[in-house]
Amino acid sequence: MIAEKKANKTARYGMTIDIDRCTGCGACMVACAVENNVPPAHEGANERKGITWIRVFKIDNGEDYPHKRSAFVPVLCQQCGKDAPCAAVCPQQAVEVDPATGIVGQMPERCLGCRYCMAACPYHARYFNWWDPAWPAGMEKTLNPDVAPRMRGVVEKCNFCHGRWHAAIERAAANGQSIQSVDYVPACVEACPTGAIRFGDLNRPESAPAQAARSGDSFRLLEKIGTEPKIYYRSRKDWVRQIASAPKPGLGKESSRG
Amino acid sequence: MNATRRDLFKFLGGSAVGALFTPAPWRLITDTALWSENWPGIPRPARGEIRARFTNCALCPAGCAVRARCVGDRPVALTGVAAHPLSHGALCPFGLTGHHLPYHPLRLKQGPVKEAAGAVANALAKCGPTERVAVLDLRPGRTASWTHRRAMASVKNGLYLAPPSPLGSSGAFDLHKAKTVLSFGAPLLDGWGTPGNVMAARENFRLIQAEPLESRTASLADLWLPIRPGAEEALAQAIACVLADRKPEEFAAQTGLAEEQIVSVANELANNGPALVLDGGQAPAVMELNRLLGSLGRTIVARREAPVPDAWKKAAPVTSLEAAADGSIRVLLIDESAVGGYLPWGAIEKKLVRDNPLVVTFAWSKEGYGRYAQYVLPTTVYPEVFDDIPPAVDSVVAAFRLATPLVPPPAGMVNPAEFIGGLAGVPAGDALRERADAIHKSGRGTLFTCADAKSTPLREVKPADFWKALNEGGCWLDAADEKAGSPQVAFPEFSAGQPAEESAEDLPLVAITCETRAAAVPLSPLMSKLYQESHLGLAANHAALHPATARACGLKDGARATLQTRCGTSPIEVSLDSGVPPGVVQVAAGAEILDLCGGPGGRPARAKVVPA
Repeated sequence: MIAEKKANKTARYGMTIDIDRCTGCGACMVACAVENNVPPAHEGANERKGITWIRVFKIDNGEDYPHKRSAFVPVLCQQCGKDAPCAAVCPQQAVEVDPATGIVGQMPERCLGCRYCMAACPYHARYFNWWDPAWPAGMEKTLNPDVAPRMRGVVEKCNFCHGRWHAAIERAAANGQSIQSVDYVPACVEACPTGAIRFGDLNRPESAPAQAARSGDSFRLLEKIGTEPKIYYRSRKDWVRQIASAPKPGLGKESSRG
Repeated sequence: MNATRRDLFKFLGGSAVGALFTPAPWRLITDTALWSENWPGIPRPARGEIRARFTNCALCPAGCAVRARCVGDRPVALTGVAAHPLSHGALCPFGLTGHHLPYHPLRLKQGPVKEAAGAVANALAKCGPTERVAVLDLRPGRTASWTHRRAMASVKNGLYLAPPSPLGSSGAFDLHKAKTVLSFGAPLLDGWGTPGNVMAARENFRLIQAEPLESRTASLADLWLPIRPGAEEALAQAIACVLADRKPEEFAAQTGLAEEQIVSVANELANNGPALVLDGGQAPAVMELNRLLGSLGRTIVARREAPVPDAWKKAAPVTSLEAAADGSIRVLLIDESAVGGYLPWGAIEKKLVRDNPLVVTFAWSKEGYGRYAQYVLPTTVYPEVFDDIPPAVDSVVAAFRLATPLVPPPAGMVNPAEFIGGLAGVPAGDALRERADAIHKSGRGTLFTCADAKSTPLREVKPADFWKALNEGGCWLDAADEKAGSPQVAFPEFSAGQPAEESAEDLPLVAITCETRAAAVPLSPLMSKLYQESHLGLAANHAALHPATARACGLKDGARATLQTRCGTSPIEVSLDSGVPPGVVQVAAGAEILDLCGGPGGRPARAKVVPA
C-alpha cells in the first residue's frame, strides 16, 4: 500500500515534439542557453565543440532540387527511461536519475571530464566545456541566478530545466500545494512560438506527452536500442519517421562531437 | 633494525600506491573541481529580488509583448505574454535575447554630437534652393516619426522618406479571415507580421508558397511551388490569365512550373476563398491578384491610424525614396534607432548631391548605414529604449504600445526625435504622453494590461491610469471601424514580368538573399548557437550553392570565396546545399550583402562566386 502511494507520487516527465509544426526558428535553442547560462560561442567553437543543450537539426529526404524536402528536428537529452547509457559508464556517479521525476541529471561538480558519457550517449546530447565560460563585458549581469555556470573540463546536458523544477517545488510548498500540482515547463517549451514542444508527466494519461505517446504518428529516436527515451516525436511524413532510426539526424556524422 | 634510505623510499612509494586505493585522492579531485567552479574566471550570477516587469519588444515592427524576469533592476530572461491579443505569447530568438544588446561589443557608447549638430546647422544654412534636407525613417508610423515629419514640414525643402510598405498605414492583412494564402516569397512562418498572430491563424488557412528556394516557410507550407528566380510576376500574371479564362502558357513557361499546376492553384484561389496573396517584394502584378480575387475589404482591410494631437497634422507627407529626385539631397539624417526595412545604400547614394553631401545616422552600432555616414550618433538600444511601436501589417486595428526601458541607458545617448525636432524648433520631449492623451481623448477601443491579462474599455480608464498602464507594457487596441470599407491602395497596372537581370557571361549566377529580421544590426552574441555552433541558419558572409554549381565554380564545402555583383564584392564562406537551385547562390541578408544584392524579395541580382 505504501509502495503504491509512493509510485503514484512519482512523476515521469517527458516531452512531445511535433516536427510538422517546427519552423526551425531556434527560439528553443536560445531560450535554453539564456535559462541555463550557456555562454556564447568561443572563437574556436564550431558544430563539434559548441554547447547547445537542445539543437535543432535540419534533415531532408535525400533528394535533389526541386524534390528535396526538409524538416527540423530539435534534439536534446532523450531522458532515457531504462538503463541510461551515460549513467552506467560514469566513474564518478556524476549522472543521476532522479526517482521523483525520472529526469537524468548531470552534476558538473562531480564530473572529471573523462567524456565516457559522451561516447556512450547514442543521441549525441552531451557537451563538453572546452573553454572557460565567458560572456562579453557586462553581459554576465544577465545570467540566471538559479543556475551556476559550469567550468572548463566538465560535461553538461539538458536536465529539463531542473532549476525551474526546484523553483516550482518551492512555490508549491509555500502555497501549501502538493508537488504533483506544480506548474512547471522547461524554457524551450515556453519559448516555442508554434507550440511544437509540449511537456508533461507521462504517468498522467491526460498530459500532452502521454497522449502523444499513444498517437499513431509518434516515434522515438533509436527506439530499437531499448533505452526507452521519454521524448516522443510526431510527424505525418514517412521519410521523417524513417530517419528516426538513423544514428543521428541530418549530417550522418556518427562521431561528430569532440 | 636499521632503517636505510632504501626503506624510506619503499615506504613512501608504498604509501603513494596504497593511497590510490583509499577515497582520499578522489576526494581531493572532487574538492578541486568544486574550487575550480568558483574560481575568479567563472562569472557569478548576481542575486537579488526577483520580479516580473512588462514591456513590448522594439526589435522589429511586430512589437511582441514581453514579460521580463528581473533580478533587482536587471532583466535575466524575456518571455512572451500568452494572453496578449496581438502576439499570443510568441517571441522570436532575437526577442528572447534582446536583453543582451546593451552589452554587445559593437554597441556605440559615445559619438560626436556637438560636431554633428554644428555640421548639420552649417549644411542647412548653405543648402541651395533646389537641394533637399531629408529624414530617412526606417520604421515609420511611430510618434518619433510624427516629430520627424513635423520638423521636415518646418524646414525649407524638408523631405520625409520611408521604406516602401505594401499597404502603408491605411490597411492591414487579415489572416484570420483567409482560407487560402498564396505567398510569393513572403516569410510567412519565419517572422512575417506578428509571428504569434500568424501561428494563431495558421490552422485555418491553406498555405501555398511560391519561391525558388525551399525556405522555412516553404518547408512547412501545404504546397511549395519552386519557381525560377525572379519569376514571381510571371506566375502572378499566369494566374491572372487563368482567372480571366485565358491561356497562361506565355507566362507559365517563364515560371518553370507546369501549366496544369498553375491552373490548379488559380482554381483553388478562386474557389476556396476568401483568398489572400502576399508578396515579399511588393511586385505590382502580385498585388493586383488581390484585386482580381476580391480580397479588398475581405482579407485586406482598412485600418485607422491611432489618433494624434491636432497640432501634429501639419506634417510633411510620407515620400518613398524612389520619388525623391536623383542628386537632390544635401543633408540626409537616417533614423536607424528603430530597426525596420533596410534599403540598399546604392539606392540612397544616387539621391544625394554629388559634391560633399552630409549624412548623419542615429544608430546603436556602426553596422548599418554608419559605414557610409560622416557622423554616427549613438542611440539607446532595446531594452533601454523609450519609444512606441506602430501596428504590424497583420494587425487589423490600430494599436498603441510602448517599449519602456528595462535598464537605464548610459549617459551621452542621442534621441533622434529631439535632435531632428530641435533643428526646426519642434518639441519632442513629451510627444509620447501627448499622443497617449490624444488617444484617451478619442475614447475608442480597449486597454489590455499584461499583469492581469484583462481588457478594459478605454472610457472606463482615467488618463493617468492609461499612461501608467502603457508604461507597464499595456496595449491600446482601437475599436473595429464599422464604416471602414476597402483600404485605399493604389494598385498599379500590370507590367511586363521582371525576371532576374539578363544572363551575363561575366556574372553567370543569380544571388538570392534569405531574410532575417534584424538584417542590418548586430545580434546577441548568444545567436552563435544558431549560426556558429549549429548549421541552423546561414550566418553573415556565408553562401550556399548547389553541389553542381560549386563544382562548376571550382569550390568545395567550407571554401573561402568572393561574391561579386554589379555593386561590388564581398568575401564569403561557401557551404553546399542540394536544396539550392543550380545556378543560384543563396546569401544571408546582412547589411553588406543587401548593399551588394538588393533587399529580400527584390529583383534577384546577377552574381559570380570565385575562389579566394
